[in-house]
Amino acid sequence: MWRHTQMVVLVALSAAIYAAVLIPFKGFTIIPGFTEVRPANVFPFVFGLLFGPAGAWGAAIGNLIGDFFGTLGPGSIAGFIGNFFLGFLPYKMWGSFFRRGENMEQNVNSGKKLAIYIAITILASVVCAIWIAWFNDLIGFVPFAALASIITVNNAIAGIVLGPILLLVLYPRVKRWGLLWTEIMAPDEVPDSRYQRLGNLLMWVGGLGALIVGLVLGLGLYEQGFAAAGFAPGSGGATGVAIGLALIPFLVLIVIASFLLGGREQVEAAEEEMATDTGTTR
Amino acid sequence: MDPFLYLDRDTWVHRLDPRTKMFLLIGAFVLAFLFVNPLYGIGVLAIVLAFGAAAKSLVNLERIWFILLMIAVMTVILWTVFGSGETPLFWFVEREALLYAIGAALRIDIMIVAGMIFLSTTRNEEIATGLVKLGIPYRFAFAVSTALRLVPTIAATGSTIGQAQRSRGLDLESGNIIQRVRKNTPLLIPVFVSTIRSTNVFSMALESKGFGAARERTYFLRLAMGRRDAVVLLVFALVLVTAVALRLMGYGGVEGFSR
Repeated sequence: MWRHTQMVVLVALSAAIYAAVLIPFKGFTIIPGFTEVRPANVFPFVFGLLFGPAGAWGAAIGNLIGDFFGTLGPGSIAGFIGNFFLGFLPYKMWGSFFRRGENMEQNVNSGKKLAIYIAITILASVVCAIWIAWFNDLIGFVPFAALASIITVNNAIAGIVLGPILLLVLYPRVKRWGLLWTEIMAPDEVPDSRYQRLGNLLMWVGGLGALIVGLVLGLGLYEQGFAAAGFAPGSGGATGVAIGLALIPFLVLIVIASFLLGGREQVEAAEEEMATDTGTTR
Repeated sequence: MDPFLYLDRDTWVHRLDPRTKMFLLIGAFVLAFLFVNPLYGIGVLAIVLAFGAAAKSLVNLERIWFILLMIAVMTVILWTVFGSGETPLFWFVEREALLYAIGAALRIDIMIVAGMIFLSTTRNEEIATGLVKLGIPYRFAFAVSTALRLVPTIAATGSTIGQAQRSRGLDLESGNIIQRVRKNTPLLIPVFVSTIRSTNVFSMALESKGFGAARERTYFLRLAMGRRDAVVLLVFALVLVTAVALRLMGYGGVEGFSR
């Protein structure tokens, strides 16, 4: 991706737009220093879908720049990774919901595409929240249960409410300007999609599994389960290390799924469409 | 008002190499992270504030004091609720949980103040060039520095459009947060569209100036670590080693806390 100047510029512009809209809302805090009301969270989903890896890197860098305005700290590392996944999942998972030959254009002009967009938005919100909440709980900053649930809802609301509107406005223009990631990148630059469906499944298991297990441990619900089953409860709630270790398998699943998702089918579909439109090939 | 925290002062901290300041920042994070006990946290805070005073950058605390206060309050509440100790104080609050909560709040605030001092003494160009000198690929560092440069421009464009619409009678101030977001969203779309539309022209301008043509490139800003950087890093390394040794000997924790 980095060898395409347009993609480098799109990284910078995505990051700048994201940061420019994040910063004014830094004062509307939910958990001060960690999350706030963020309508800007719509951009990772939309930019990820339209600009692919450029949108994902732009989301990560944009969030880091937002932290430069008062909240730069170790949590910014988790924010970088989490926001990267916020932009990464939409473009990686999009193609896995379509069969070969189906229209894979990255817009929401049908009921099916809107439903897929909403599903991916929710999963990406969960995965982003997992990374940030896991790291901040591990280093003793904020309890997992508080941060994970708030970030998930905060991300998803912005993406679901504002995303379709933004996509309907931006997609036709971005396509006309030749800036869709599927039109800039070549098929051999994108991993193949042989294990795409497996990657899709693992991502859902990793994301939702981590959220459920983390909440159960963080809220001490497993103790109540033990008590209900007739066992004596432990000496206290789950420690940060327990949550940190318990979620590692799910995080590993998320990373593995990221490599399996591919994305090449979308670039090839775009190439076929261009060839049909112009009678030429790349 | 300049949204960035950088303060143009002539201090020995400003004259340090940006890579030195990045290492000091990471070291400050480690130092803050080591001690959970708030008494030790106050000692670390004193060191960080002393460094900030030497850099004449503590005036920026006026811009972030509210964030620091809110973080401290929320952190104390959260860990008092989610943590547990052995010595009851009042209601559901235990002494060890409260101590841990105050210590956690101090740690977070120390790290944010350290980040503020770093950004107050390091220009954006120095950050980008410093990253490249540390081995970060140039194109990635270029994207970061370009984004940093464009943030005020995009914010100013959005502000100009908002003012133009207000002068035509559009009310953007009234209503709750949801209503204001709804009213502002249509104004932002022209900003995004015009910004993204400039991608192709921007790319052509870069390539016409040889962007990416050569594997290695030269920089206007020349960085060199000198004796001052070495002395500062050595002193800080000694402080860090002492802190780690103290922690390994068992000082700086909160006995009886669990979560």
